[in-house]
Amino acid sequence: MQKPLIKSICLNIIYKWLWRPVLKFFVGIQYPDCSFLRNEKQFVIIANHNSHLDTLSLQSALPGDILWRVRPVAAEDYFGNTKLKAKLSNFFINTLLINRKSKKEDGPNYSMNKMLKAIDDGYSLILFPEGSRGEPEQMSKMKSGIARLLAQRPGLKYVPVFMTGMGTSLPKGGMVPLPYNATLHFGKPTLPETDDSYAIMDQIEKDFANMVEQYGIKEDEDDD
Amino acid sequence: MRKILSNLFPEQSSEVILMISIILITLLAVSAILLAVKKAMPEKNITEIVNRTKSWWIMIGIFIAAIFINNTASYVFLAILSFFAFRELYSVLHFRQSDRSALLVALLTIPVQYALAYFKWYGGYIIFIPVIMFLLLPPIMVIKQDTHRITKSMALLHWSLMLSVFGLSHLAFLLSMPDLEGFSSGGRGLLLFLVFLTEINDIMQFIWGKTFGKHKILPNVSPNKTWEGFIGGVISTTVIGYFIGFLTPLSTSQVIFTSAMISVFGFAGDVVLSAIKRDKGIKDMSDTIPGHGGIFDRIDSLSFTAPAFFHLMYFLVYPPFQPFEEICKNL
Repeated sequence: MQKPLIKSICLNIIYKWLWRPVLKFFVGIQYPDCSFLRNEKQFVIIANHNSHLDTLSLQSALPGDILWRVRPVAAEDYFGNTKLKAKLSNFFINTLLINRKSKKEDGPNYSMNKMLKAIDDGYSLILFPEGSRGEPEQMSKMKSGIARLLAQRPGLKYVPVFMTGMGTSLPKGGMVPLPYNATLHFGKPTLPETDDSYAIMDQIEKDFANMVEQYGIKEDEDDD
Repeated sequence: MRKILSNLFPEQSSEVILMISIILITLLAVSAILLAVKKAMPEKNITEIVNRTKSWWIMIGIFIAAIFINNTASYVFLAILSFFAFRELYSVLHFRQSDRSALLVALLTIPVQYALAYFKWYGGYIIFIPVIMFLLLPPIMVIKQDTHRITKSMALLHWSLMLSVFGLSHLAFLLSMPDLEGFSSGGRGLLLFLVFLTEINDIMQFIWGKTFGKHKILPNVSPNKTWEGFIGGVISTTVIGYFIGFLTPLSTSQVIFTSAMISVFGFAGDVVLSAIKRDKGIKDMSDTIPGHGGIFDRIDSLSFTAPAFFHLMYFLVYPPFQPFEEICKNL
């Protein structure tokens, strides 16, 4: 797979030089050290989804030189409903557009086939298995597509990422981002233990349950 | 060194230049000792203290550049400091989703509060957050009609605002203090005195506690704090304050009282923030400054000492402020 030089430079400028300082100083997002991802040839980042800030901060957290080969999976009906929008989001966000309502019969346009092709082309993916952004700061049930994807490509590692505070800063329907010390917590790159998609789903859900337990906001239910 | 600094900061008095030289020389000495220790005993793990010293260089560099080069830039710098501190505080305290708009309005008070300090309108500055915002923010929350735990949110928001914006903005108003006859360092000298003593007090309490600490002072809040650290800190801060009293227009007994007060209030700010962190189950407020934690972990004592010191100075040395009409005429 050839590195597209212009695109790579563009993505670097946009995410590492523009978005990252803005998100860090004005919004207050706290970035962990992600250089360990350089050692991974290919991976699927699985993250919780509460805000438009999610993709932005995830991409600006990644090491600059691998940005071009990490593609966030996005909904076609939202980011690609016109040809121009699709082209722009492909170039500037490096998205992989999928149709959420597509069926198996659609062949290469079926969302699963599209993701599998990207994997086979050597790309890494960013996936939000919850689907839509949902209620701020709450995790909804994950869809099983991610498990089926991992089951069909044994040896592919996944990286769970749990983000807190993004939904407080910019919730669904919010217009102005509230400066907020939102945090990204990166888990370790993990191999699925089996190739059974149900077992993989359980494994991922357990990972996230642990991260919620460790980093999640504990709402103190006091006596009132 | 003093010559170079005088050229760098031509508007500053010789006392301020002397003080900046003392700070830089101390920091150089500490760095040299650390370097020597690292060379002589490479097996000893001093990474944490090295990181802290590195951060001190950066913090002191930024502080001196921001406060002593350009007057307007000083106010902007302090406002940004308030912004970071306030953001850290409300991020940790967990507000409700429906408090977002009130928080955004509260953020807008930062430029207003610092502008009031910049234009030297003391009357407006001193009531803006304690009175006006106290009355304005709760109704903004009520408009959302989400009453579940609204009392808590109202109280938390105003408390955070008082601590991180109103408290810290006293640093800015020190810069707006009128000139006194026979006192060339002005408000900047006072600011330097306050910030230096507060930070040195933190360090002294830490060192005394580490070396001689035995009897815990508040074991359920901060297990590392001891009576030895507290008392040793107060004594050494008072002694150091006595020697850098040349930055202030105070008499000897006033300097001693002021330094001891800074030490006690600094300790108070420190333990108050420790208690909050303990309540929230966190170690640091954020991870902005390597080796120190968040901004508020560093300036927690300052948010207490700044208002206390300011009002003591206001009481001891400054004549009453000019009325608003005269400020308008001068604008």
